[in-house]
Amino acid sequence: MSNETAVSQVDKPEKRDPLGPLFWVCVGWATLTILASLLANWLPIESPITQDYTALNQGPTLHHLLGTDDLGRDILARIIFGGRISIGVGFGAMAIGFGIGAPLGMLTAYRRGRLDTIVTSVMYMLLAFPAIIATIAILSFWVPRALPKIIVVIGLASVPLVYRVIRTATLNVAAKDYVVAAKVQGASDRRILLKELLPNIFPIAISFLLIGIATVISLEGALAFLGLSVNPPTPSWGNMINEARTVLSTDPWLVIFPSLALCLFLLCLNFIGDRLRSYFDVTEVKL
Amino acid sequence: MSENVLVVENLATTFHTKGGPVPAVGGVSFSLGPNETLGIVGESGSGKTVLSRTIMGLQPRTNVEVTGSVLLNGHQMVGVSEDEKRKHWATEVAMVFQDPMTSLNPVMRVGKQIDEVLRVRLGMPKDAAKARAIELLRLVGIPSPEERYSAYPGQLSGGMRQRVVIAIALACSPSLLMADEPTTGLDVTIQAQILNLIEQIKNDLNMSVILVTHDLGVVATRTTRLIVMYAGRIVEIGTTRDVFKDHRMPYTRALLESSPRVSNASHTRLQAIPGRPPNLLKLDQGCAFAPRCAFATQKCHEERPELEETGTPGHLFACWNPLTTKIGA
Amino acid sequence: MTKPLLQVRDLEVTFGHGKNAVSAVAGVSFDIYEGETLGVVGESGCGKSTTGKALMRIVEPTKGTVINGDQNITELSGRALRRARTQMQMIFQDPISSLNPRRRIKDIVAEPLDCWGTAKGEERDALVSDLLSKVGIDPAVYGNRYARQFSGGQCQRISIARSLAMRPKLLICDEMVSALDVSVQAQILNLLDDLKREYGLTLLFIAHDLGVVKNVSDRVAVMYLGKICEIGPSDALYAAPAHPYTKFLLGAALEADVDSDAHSEVLEGEPPSPLNPPSGCRFRTRCPMAQAKCAEEEPALQDVGTGHQVACHFPLTIGRK
Repeated sequence: MSNETAVSQVDKPEKRDPLGPLFWVCVGWATLTILASLLANWLPIESPITQDYTALNQGPTLHHLLGTDDLGRDILARIIFGGRISIGVGFGAMAIGFGIGAPLGMLTAYRRGRLDTIVTSVMYMLLAFPAIIATIAILSFWVPRALPKIIVVIGLASVPLVYRVIRTATLNVAAKDYVVAAKVQGASDRRILLKELLPNIFPIAISFLLIGIATVISLEGALAFLGLSVNPPTPSWGNMINEARTVLSTDPWLVIFPSLALCLFLLCLNFIGDRLRSYFDVTEVKL
Repeated sequence: MSENVLVVENLATTFHTKGGPVPAVGGVSFSLGPNETLGIVGESGSGKTVLSRTIMGLQPRTNVEVTGSVLLNGHQMVGVSEDEKRKHWATEVAMVFQDPMTSLNPVMRVGKQIDEVLRVRLGMPKDAAKARAIELLRLVGIPSPEERYSAYPGQLSGGMRQRVVIAIALACSPSLLMADEPTTGLDVTIQAQILNLIEQIKNDLNMSVILVTHDLGVVATRTTRLIVMYAGRIVEIGTTRDVFKDHRMPYTRALLESSPRVSNASHTRLQAIPGRPPNLLKLDQGCAFAPRCAFATQKCHEERPELEETGTPGHLFACWNPLTTKIGA
Repeated sequence: MTKPLLQVRDLEVTFGHGKNAVSAVAGVSFDIYEGETLGVVGESGCGKSTTGKALMRIVEPTKGTVINGDQNITELSGRALRRARTQMQMIFQDPISSLNPRRRIKDIVAEPLDCWGTAKGEERDALVSDLLSKVGIDPAVYGNRYARQFSGGQCQRISIARSLAMRPKLLICDEMVSALDVSVQAQILNLLDDLKREYGLTLLFIAHDLGVVKNVSDRVAVMYLGKICEIGPSDALYAAPAHPYTKFLLGAALEADVDSDAHSEVLEGEPPSPLNPPSGCRFRTRCPMAQAKCAEEEPALQDVGTGHQVACHFPLTIGRK
C-alpha cells in the first residue's frame, strides 16, 4: 500500500527547555529551609525562647550568628523555628484549599449542569468578598489563636480561588476534541477524569499550588503585622518583623534577617512554580 | 514603460532561532506593474506569509535578518527605519489579513477605525473623515452604511467584517493591496463576493493586488500572474494560464493534481504527494522538493536548481527535470 | 431497497431557550445505507456539524429519533449508550486537539480496547500495531512517541486508527481534512478510501469544500440554516442541481481551473440569523426566484429523480427529467 512509507518524518522527541541551574538553586534553598524547620528540634541551635541576658540586642556574633533581640533570644533559632509557622500555614492552608477546591472544580467543570451553576455562583460570590478582610475578622474574634485555627481559616478562604483556577483549567481541557473522542469510545467519566483531564491540568495546578503557598505565607506575615498570628513567644517570620519594626533604625538586623528568610523562600517558590509551568507546557508555540 | 508598483530583488528573510537559522524566504525576485493581480500560492511552510509581511516591512524586529531589495513605487523598504516604512503604509501599500476579527479592534466602532486612518494619514478633519468613511463603507458593499458606521466588529458577520477591513485598506487609495488569505475561513458564497469586490475595486481605483493563498481555486480565475512557492523559494512564476496549463515544475503539477475538483467525477483517485513539507531548520542541499518528487534524480538531491526561463518571457521555473507535456485541454 | 444502516427522522437540535433559542438543526430526516459515503455540505450555521454530533449524542437532540439497525440511539442512556457509540465513531476537524498531547500514540489507539477490555496483553499490542501500520505509521519506530510530536496529517491518521479499533460500522468525519494542507489532504482522502473498502465502513462526510465532498461521496445532502434543501447522488446533484441554493453554491465554488467560469451569478446578501429564520422556505430571502408561496409554506422534500430529492416549491429541474 502506498501509505506504508507515508510517515517518514516525525519530530524527534524535542528537548524541553531545561530547567536551568537557577531552578535547582531555588529547589535547594527551599528544601533547606523546609528541612531546617522540620528538624529544628534536633539541630544544634539554641532554643528560640531561651533568653540570654548576657547578649541583649547584639548584632551578629560568633555565638549568635544572626544576633539577638531585646530579650536575648537567638535570631537564627527564632527564624528556623519561625519557619515552622510560616511554612506550616502555607502548606497546610493550601492542602485544605486544594483538597476541597480542586476536586470540586474539576467535577463541576466536567459535569456542568445545575450543580455547576449553583456551586460556581456561590464560589464567585465568595470570591467577590475580600478574603483578607474575612480572615482578619474571623481571626480577631476566634481567640485564643493557635496554628491549626489559622491554617483552617486561611485554607477555607482560599477555596474559592483554587476552585476557580482549577475549574477554568478543566473547562479548557474538557473542550478539547480528545476528551470528546474518549467519551465516544465509551470511556467512563472516572476514566476520562483520570487519564485525559488530570494529566493536562496537573502543570497548571502544580504551579498555582506553589504560588499559592507563597501567597499564603506572605498573608501570614501580614496577619502577624496586625497582631493576628500566633501569640508570643512563639516566633513566626511575620511577628518577628512586626515586633522589631519599632527598633528598625537602631537594630536593623532584627528586621532584615527574618525579612530575608521570608523573601528568599517566597522568591524560590514563585520561581519554581513558574519554571515548572513552562517546562510542562507542551502547547507553547516554538519558533 | 509604466512604472512598476513593486520591484522585489533577491529578497531573503532568515529567522535566527534557538535551533539555528531558518531561511523562511530565500532569493525571491519579481516585479508588479500597475493594475495587475499577482497570486502567490503555497502550502504551510512555503514562506508565502513571511514573504508578504517582509514586503510590507512587517517582519518581527528581533532575531530576523532581511536582505535584498523591495522597491515600492521607487521607495526602498528593506533596511530602513520603521518611521520610513510608516510613511508608505496605508498611503501606498495596504494589507488585508486573514482573520477580520483579529485585524479589527473589537472595542472600537468600525466607523471610527476607518476615520482613524483618514485623520492620521491624510489629516482630514473630523466631519470630512466621517463622510468619507461612510462613502467607503458604501463602496465595499455594506448596506445601510450610515448605521453600520457605529457598529462594533462583533455585531457584524465575517463577510461584513472583511469588507470593513478592505474599506480601511482603501481609505488612502494605496497603489498596492496585499491580501493575505483574505477569504480563508469565510463561507464559499461570501468568498466569491469578497473576491469580486477586490477585483472591482482594483479596476475602479487602478490598484495592483497581491493575493496570497494556499487555495489554487482562488487564484485560478482572479490573477493574471502566479508565483508558486515551496520551502521559502519561488519554484515557478509566470502568467496564471501558463502556470496552470504549461507548467514545468513537478511540484506545480502535483499541487494541481492533488486538489479535488467539482468538475471531476466522484471517487476520482487523487494524486497525493507523499511525505510532507520540509522542516526549514534542516534543509539539505539540493532541491527542497526532491525527497517528495517522483522525477528526482541524483543531481536534484545535490544541487539546488536556479530559476530559468522557458521559451516564454516572464515564465520561469526551478527544476533540473522539468515536465515537458502540457496539460490537455 | 436495502435496509438503511442509520435512520434519522425529524432530528432537531435547539440551543438556549425562549427568545434566545437557536435552532441549529430544524427537522432533518435522512437515511444512511450500509457501505455508502453520504456527504453533507453547507456553509457556516447550516447545522451540518451539529447534525453529526447529534447522531452520536455528543450534543443532545431536542427532538427526533436516530435508529441504528434495531437500536434507538436517542433513547439509550448510560452503559448501553456508551456501548452503542462504539459502533459509530467520529473524526474531528482539528487534528492536534483530537489527541491527548501527553499520551503515547500506542496508548491512544488502544484506549477503546482498554475501556471495554476487548483485547489484552500481546493481542492488544498486535492489534494496535496493525492499525498504526494500516494508516501508514510505523508502530515500531513511532508507537512510543507522544501525540504532540506529530504533524496535522499524521495526527489525523492516528485518529483514524483509534476510531477503527472497535471496528465501527459508521464513521462520521466532521470537517476532517479542512485543517490540512492540500497535499496532505489528498493523502488522507486516499487513505480513507482504502480503509473504507478494507473495513467495510459507511461514512458520513461533513465538509464545506464542495470538491472534497464530491470526491468522496456517493450521495450528497446540502444543508441551509438547519434544514436539508437537497439530497441525491453526487454526480447527478453536481451536474444538475435542483435547488437554487445548490446552484449558487456550486457557482461560487473556486475551481483550480483557469478556464472555469469565474463570474457566474454571485449569491448576494448574508445568511439570515438562526435566531429568527424566515417563514416558509428559509432560503427565500436570498433566492432570486422566490414567490409568494415560498413565504407561506415550507417546502418538503420531494422526488426529482432516482434517489434525488429537493425541498423547493420551484425546483430547477422540473420538466427536465
